[in-house]
Amino acid sequence: MMRSENLSQLFSKLDDLKKVFTYGEKLIPVIQSLGEFMKETVPLLENINRSIAESTSKIPKATNQIQNVTSATEMATTEILDLVDSLNDDLTDIEKTMVEVLAKETDKKDFLMSLIPMLKKENAELFIKDFLNKNCNTEKLGVLLLQVGKMKNDSNSIALSLQVQDITSQQLATVNHLIESVQDRLSSLIEDFDNTKITEQDSNLNIPEGASFDPNARYSKSIVPQQEVDSIFSKEMQTASQAEIDKLFN
Amino acid sequence: MKKVILVADDSPTIRKFVSISLKVKGYEIIQVADGMQALEVLPSEQIDLVITDLNMPNIDGFELIKTIRTNEDYREIPIIILSSLSGNEDIEKGMQCGANAYLLKPFDSKRVLYEVSKFLN
Repeated sequence: MMRSENLSQLFSKLDDLKKVFTYGEKLIPVIQSLGEFMKETVPLLENINRSIAESTSKIPKATNQIQNVTSATEMATTEILDLVDSLNDDLTDIEKTMVEVLAKETDKKDFLMSLIPMLKKENAELFIKDFLNKNCNTEKLGVLLLQVGKMKNDSNSIALSLQVQDITSQQLATVNHLIESVQDRLSSLIEDFDNTKITEQDSNLNIPEGASFDPNARYSKSIVPQQEVDSIFSKEMQTASQAEIDKLFN
Repeated sequence: MKKVILVADDSPTIRKFVSISLKVKGYEIIQVADGMQALEVLPSEQIDLVITDLNMPNIDGFELIKTIRTNEDYREIPIIILSSLSGNEDIEKGMQCGANAYLLKPFDSKRVLYEVSKFLN
């Protein structure tokens, strides 16, 4: 009785074994195609790895170029600002001289007009007024002074617009920082894949030590952000309205 | 006697623009590129007002303001922040550190002149 049960169990195990072999037979082609897939994939992965390594080694050049752009625009902007500064100085000198000339011309006109009652000839008034019309430059000087004032305002506007350089340099510094992060990630990927280390020279990003920037720096002439700042400061301090500022300088 | 203003900013463009803006009113400007240089200048010059950026290498603007406010010799000097940082936390931090005014970049030269004249005249 026991032998019969044992045999039955043995046949059952053999049946299981047969199923395993049958399953194995079905699995072998899958494993083979997996192997073939791996064979094809490895060169592809190696190719990807090479591309990543190549791209990673080019990153320092990109960041250097960004840094060069920043330096070049900074230099050019400073040169333009120097010219604007010089222009402003010249305009201020011209304005000062013109104000002096205008004062003298006004004095001359007033003096000649004051002579009219003293002169006894009947046509003296006509003569002096005619002379003043032909030779007095007060009106022209007044117009020129307005133009000089406008030129000074324009040069100030140029200088104001050149602040864009500071904003773009901060944005470029942010891009450089992002590129540095990408390079770090790519380097660690390559290291994980085939233990290749990106050399120190390759990973030198040439970002100035202690570089500081605002990643959210924006160039905007809107007065709204400043008003928001003023509202925070005004809790404790008295801040200016635009009307007050204009009143002071106009 | 000319009033002396110390301008601390790592951007030469901004330093130059502030200098142009203030020069017209006869102020003397000393320019430095970071907070550390500013602290080196303070003992050797009679500074009437400080204009500082916040993001600067070595010593940033917040540290510079705190250092000035904790020094008996300089604590009364008015300080104006000139920064592109527009977050409330930065503005409040600037105020807590002891700044007297906060101007956002890009800024109008008239506004800078107004703030400066408010403290110096």
